[in-house]
Amino acid sequence: MEFTALFLAIAVTMIAAWRGSRPLALTLFGLTLAASVATYLHHATDALKLSF
Amino acid sequence: MTLALTLNALGLYGIAAVLAGAFAAQIILGELPCPLCMLQRIQFALLAVGPMLNLRHGARPSHYALSLLAACAGAAFATRQVLLHILPGDAGYGSALFGYHYYTWALVGFCLAIVLIATMMVFDRHFRDEPPAPGAFASVAVWLVIGLVVLNVVSTLLMCGFGACADDPVAYEMLKRR
Repeated sequence: MEFTALFLAIAVTMIAAWRGSRPLALTLFGLTLAASVATYLHHATDALKLSF
Repeated sequence: MTLALTLNALGLYGIAAVLAGAFAAQIILGELPCPLCMLQRIQFALLAVGPMLNLRHGARPSHYALSLLAACAGAAFATRQVLLHILPGDAGYGSALFGYHYYTWALVGFCLAIVLIATMMVFDRHFRDEPPAPGAFASVAVWLVIGLVVLNVVSTLLMCGFGACADDPVAYEMLKRR
């Protein structure tokens, strides 16, 4: 679900960059990048199933 | 359109090719992307916002900076996935293309993007250019990338449904028979 939301946020950011205002696009970009890094950190802190 | 903006449009076609290639592997080979793979796709898509702003509002260092941030994040994500599979005997995730897995190619792609963006920023004369009206070449590139991102919205919704995505997905959750 979080990835669907991230792709949707990028699509909105791109439409804002192309058709809307520049400050709105910059804000949406910052929020989307922060959310993607937060998603990465969430997955990166999962325990790895190592077998050695 | 100036040379610099033409190169920005070409960059968008390059990003579209990467997103389309990843999507083709998903559809044709049936290899569903893992969470880290999707995060790398997301950074490739975010990489496109800078060139779009350049084409619409004129070239600015801040627009290139956005793409640099996305490329650095993408390189970090790809590096983690390379390191997860670096031990001898590890088969890696998914199939290989020309001997390297997709996440290794993604790392190469993000590093290449960083070098190309930095090279563009060296030629700072184009920052003084007035933004021209974008032509068909640029418009097609922009809508191609947006279309591929929308396809990824649909694909991830079908794959993950309304819950958390599986670490090693093998089927589209929303297409499973109840």
